[in-house]
Amino acid sequence: MIEVNQLSKIFELTKKQRKENNSNEKTSTAVNNISFTCQPGRVFSLLGPNGAGKTTTLRTIANILQPTSGSVKVNGFDTVIAPEQARKNIGFLTGSTGLYERLTPNEIIAYFGELYGVEKIAFETRKEYLFKLLDMHDFSNKRIGRLSTGMRQKVSIARTMIHDPQVVIFDEPTSGLDVITAENIIQLINNCRKQGKTVLFSSHIMSEVDLLCDDLAIIHKGEILFNATMDEFRNQMQSKNLTAEFIRIVQNQTKTELA
Amino acid sequence: MIFTIFKKELKDTLRDRRTLIAMIVIPVLVFPLILGISTSVSTSFEDKQQNEVFKVALLTDDPGNEFVRELMSIPYSLGPKELEFHPLQEDASQLILTDSAQIAIAIPPNFDQDQANLISSNITVYFKETNLGAKQRAEFFAQHIESVLRNKRYDALDLNPTKLIPFTINYTNLSSTKEMLGKYVGGFIPYLFIIFGFIGCLYPAIDLFTGEKERKTLETLLTAPVPRWKILVGKMFVVVLSGISAASFAMIGLFLSLEVFEFIDNPKILEAVNSILSLKFISLLFLLLIPLTVFFAGIMIPITISAKSFKEAQSILTPVNFMIILPAMVGFIPGIELTYTTALIPIVNIVLASKELVADTLGIDLLFLTFLVMTAFAVLSVVLSHKRFGRESNIIS
Repeated sequence: MIEVNQLSKIFELTKKQRKENNSNEKTSTAVNNISFTCQPGRVFSLLGPNGAGKTTTLRTIANILQPTSGSVKVNGFDTVIAPEQARKNIGFLTGSTGLYERLTPNEIIAYFGELYGVEKIAFETRKEYLFKLLDMHDFSNKRIGRLSTGMRQKVSIARTMIHDPQVVIFDEPTSGLDVITAENIIQLINNCRKQGKTVLFSSHIMSEVDLLCDDLAIIHKGEILFNATMDEFRNQMQSKNLTAEFIRIVQNQTKTELA
Repeated sequence: MIFTIFKKELKDTLRDRRTLIAMIVIPVLVFPLILGISTSVSTSFEDKQQNEVFKVALLTDDPGNEFVRELMSIPYSLGPKELEFHPLQEDASQLILTDSAQIAIAIPPNFDQDQANLISSNITVYFKETNLGAKQRAEFFAQHIESVLRNKRYDALDLNPTKLIPFTINYTNLSSTKEMLGKYVGGFIPYLFIIFGFIGCLYPAIDLFTGEKERKTLETLLTAPVPRWKILVGKMFVVVLSGISAASFAMIGLFLSLEVFEFIDNPKILEAVNSILSLKFISLLFLLLIPLTVFFAGIMIPITISAKSFKEAQSILTPVNFMIILPAMVGFIPGIELTYTTALIPIVNIVLASKELVADTLGIDLLFLTFLVMTAFAVLSVVLSHKRFGRESNIIS
């Protein structure tokens, strides 16, 4: 389970950034007092346009960033009080995740297995399961630098899942991927739900959201505009489809702000 | 956990061609190359100087005078020469400046008469200092003839030359060859080790921090349940090890140059160098090298973690390289020695201590102080690295 409670994240801006923004503001609020809960066995989607604060929220949950205020709990572990325990429960996959070019998939998986403290026997079983599931045996000893994008994505998935995390976070996982590789990710998310894992998923592709999500929150300019189940979202729709409804909610908020 | 990170980073680093070249290939080759080239150049230069036929222009109105006769009697093996006669009135400097001759000797008209009357003659020798070997050859000819003619005068005056010498002086140098090496070339060894220690740290530091940021692998690593300081230490160990390895490979290169390629044939120098390369010397040198490379890693990491690209990191670290070289060059300045004051200056203290180490004159108090000061600077740089590595703006691209 993920519990986000009144979370805010404020970045200090450097002189250069202030100049680029043409502003005298010394700080920038990326996330402003947001709260939501992701339940086990359900896929929670964080929706928002570019720059809405999705990635900052996910990075704060994954403990890459520290909250400025508020709290995040992962499977009961507060990310500030018990960061290592919280991280142990998370698998984090982003569309832009890089891999060590000079290592092989076998070496990368072994490395992350060790970092997550996976026991040797459990590691071998888990690795075998993932390599078979993702059809990775053929290229498991080739260096990453020689692998295709699809193969790399498979390695990233195996890296994310090697410690069998109870909470899986996907930050725009299909962005820039071909249809077949994107389909692998969709399947993985579905599998995670079936296995009772908590899945937090950020995207701006409405068809994926429609296909996968049980719950959703719409985030815009660092604030949550809508937070409910997918069914509730569909029931309150005033537009003809999900994309139009998403745009309507975001634009309404912008109009309110302007007024 | 630190060891896991260290193991992985080391494997990754050892698969990087650039790092391997900077860490192993260049350090191993540098001493054999420097010594090999300098030995062959100086040998061929000496050979050339010895065998070169010098064109000697003799400006005299009497080509049969005693000076000319003695000059002609100097055997070819003692300095090949080709003589050309010119009238005394001719402009000797023009002969040299137009390269018609390398040495021009103007002999006064009454030379033979002066010699017979035991009068001192004035001989003028023209040459260009930039024409290597010309002055030495001219001096050799002049001294040889002067010695022959002086002996003739002793005979004419019926004098015993030894009775004309009130005393002779024997200068006895009590400095050992080892000390002399330490004094004159001792600065060269730490200079090279400092440079290689720095270069050895350079590429891994950029690759493990800026590179990891650029390749977007750092974010993944930071999601692992490992405290950030452990990640930093694991990576830092690899950077330090690379610096020490580069310096060690330079040492191996030096050993190969002396023992395998035998570039130095002076037995006294060879014996001294061999005694310098003792276990004690190597251990103490590495004792000083460890805090030094930690210091290098500690000043490189904050830069590499702040840089946005490999290129940016490299362009910032290049001037830092010069800042390291300048204090390292202090070792070449005569008169600057390791004292309680100079031992407080980082890098300078390592250079001077290493120089004393080569000469085997390093006191335990100054060794301890140097080590302590360098360790303190290393700790400070590590603290700075830790602060920088902890900053979110640095680790998120």
